[in-house]
Amino acid sequence: MIDLKNISKVYANGVEALFDINLHIGKEEFVFIVGPSGAGKTTIMKMLYREELPTSGQVIVDRVNVTELTAEQVPYLRRNIGVVFQDYKLLPRRTVYENVAFALQVTGAPRSQIRRHTMQALELVGMLKRASSFPEELSGGEKQRVCIARAIVNNPPLLLADEPTGNLDPQTTFEIMELLDKINRRNTTVITSTHNKSIVDIMKRRVIQLESGRVIRDQQLGMYHSK
Amino acid sequence: MNILTNLEFSVVEALRSIRRSGLMSLVAIGIVTISLTVFGIFLLFAINLGNMVSFMGTRLDIVAYVDRDLNQDSAQILETAISQIPGVDKVNYIPKDQAWKTFREEFGAKLDIADVVKENPLPNAFAVRVRTPDILPRVAEQVARFSDVSEVRYSGKLIKQIQNLVDAVRIGGAVLSILLFFATLLIVVNTIRLTVLARETDIYIMRLVGATNSFIRWPFVIEGILMGILGGILGVIILRFSYDAVLLRVKSALPFLPVVADSGLLTFVYVCIGISGVMLGMLGGYISVSRILKEKG
Ligand SMILES: Nc1ncnc2c1ncn2[C@@H]1O[C@H](COP(=O)(O)OP(=O)(O)OP(=O)(O)O)[C@@H](O)[C@H]1O
Ligand SMILES: [Mg+2]
Repeated sequence: MIDLKNISKVYANGVEALFDINLHIGKEEFVFIVGPSGAGKTTIMKMLYREELPTSGQVIVDRVNVTELTAEQVPYLRRNIGVVFQDYKLLPRRTVYENVAFALQVTGAPRSQIRRHTMQALELVGMLKRASSFPEELSGGEKQRVCIARAIVNNPPLLLADEPTGNLDPQTTFEIMELLDKINRRNTTVITSTHNKSIVDIMKRRVIQLESGRVIRDQQLGMYHSK
Repeated sequence: MNILTNLEFSVVEALRSIRRSGLMSLVAIGIVTISLTVFGIFLLFAINLGNMVSFMGTRLDIVAYVDRDLNQDSAQILETAISQIPGVDKVNYIPKDQAWKTFREEFGAKLDIADVVKENPLPNAFAVRVRTPDILPRVAEQVARFSDVSEVRYSGKLIKQIQNLVDAVRIGGAVLSILLFFATLLIVVNTIRLTVLARETDIYIMRLVGATNSFIRWPFVIEGILMGILGGILGVIILRFSYDAVLLRVKSALPFLPVVADSGLLTFVYVCIGISGVMLGMLGGYISVSRILKEKG
């Protein structure tokens, strides 16, 4: 699914965020990326949906060389990648339904399809009943469910979640992780970055640990800390 | 791609943001209106002056007065000779009796000149029409060289002056129109940029979920087009009414001035203004959203 080959990233301001990263992530894996703040977790995610380009190295997603895409091709890459953020990034003046449907509308999908897929996505995340609410009327956990619904509404094979539970209490965190797990079992590759030790330890998935832009551990059935 | 859903989405978004930017949109539309009106005034001016030149150019040809005692045969020979000068379109012999009759018919009633002057004071003459106004001086000079021709008159100087004025108005109008175009474009761009900034998150999300740049642009381009069309319509309304009013005044005060009232030509001017409005808005919308769509990497 994903191959990172000798990725290095130096930001325009001179910050060296990643050093020679090599990773392979298979289809339908569930991967945690852990590491202290500033380690480069977000930077790796941004490489995958081409929010940032690597300074050197190759990024392959679903057999597509992301680094070589032209600006015109980038939108089509992104239709195959769902992205979930810590701060949800929902549009405040639109209802839950509109927020999710938005992701389909802007790809020019036909109306009948928009309705059906939006309902299915809201159903999957358990937010169908709140379809006509506005984001400000929702709790943090509910907002994150809507954000996830928007990310998966066009059935992407890859879902990226950058600290999806950073603002949530332990119980809600657990529910959101269960939801991501459920999506993973529906044949979607899921990559989640997190600082949440207990959830990583409970879920026992592949753990990639970064520090100062380097992979210092890559372990199947891993824990948050190396033993 | 589903064009209908896309268009609906874009138009809905454009209307939303025009409403949201409220006063600023109104100001921008007002400025578009003013610019297009000024542009229209220049167009009408240029067309009228051009019209005047061609009108004078065709009506006021060269008049060559001939010696009083020229007989019929020599006149015939002279007419043939004049008509062979390059650039001459046609030559009309005007016998002095006919000229006198025309003169009395035109002015006689007012001046009672026939009572004062009993004898016909006018000489025989040739009316020489040339093909283009710019060769008038050369042809006039050649006509004057015939020994039987006593005097040559033409309004070349006036035409030349008016032609110069037309050129000045055209150049000045073009320069001013271009300046106005860019000034107005700047205002349209900045107005729509308000919308762009207000919708930065929307645009970010759109890009994230895979909207193409052209899809993201459409609502803003349509917002610009709507502003341009509205400005254009208002401009045309203003121009129409004021031009009609001016036309009426000029016709009664200066009836001999050839003012353009041809509805086809005027429609062309109004269509030009409408198209300029649309182009202005379209370009404004396009530019306003461009910076945010520039890819980083
Ligand atoms: N757009 C940017 N321009 C310049 N430097 C950046 C940019 N984004 C990130 N950085 C720098 O790159 C390094 C890695 O940042 P990154 O956001 O990937 O870390 P992170 O692991 O996601 O941290 P956190 O856990 O706090 O989210 C940091 O030193 C950061 O300051
Ligand atoms: Mg981060």
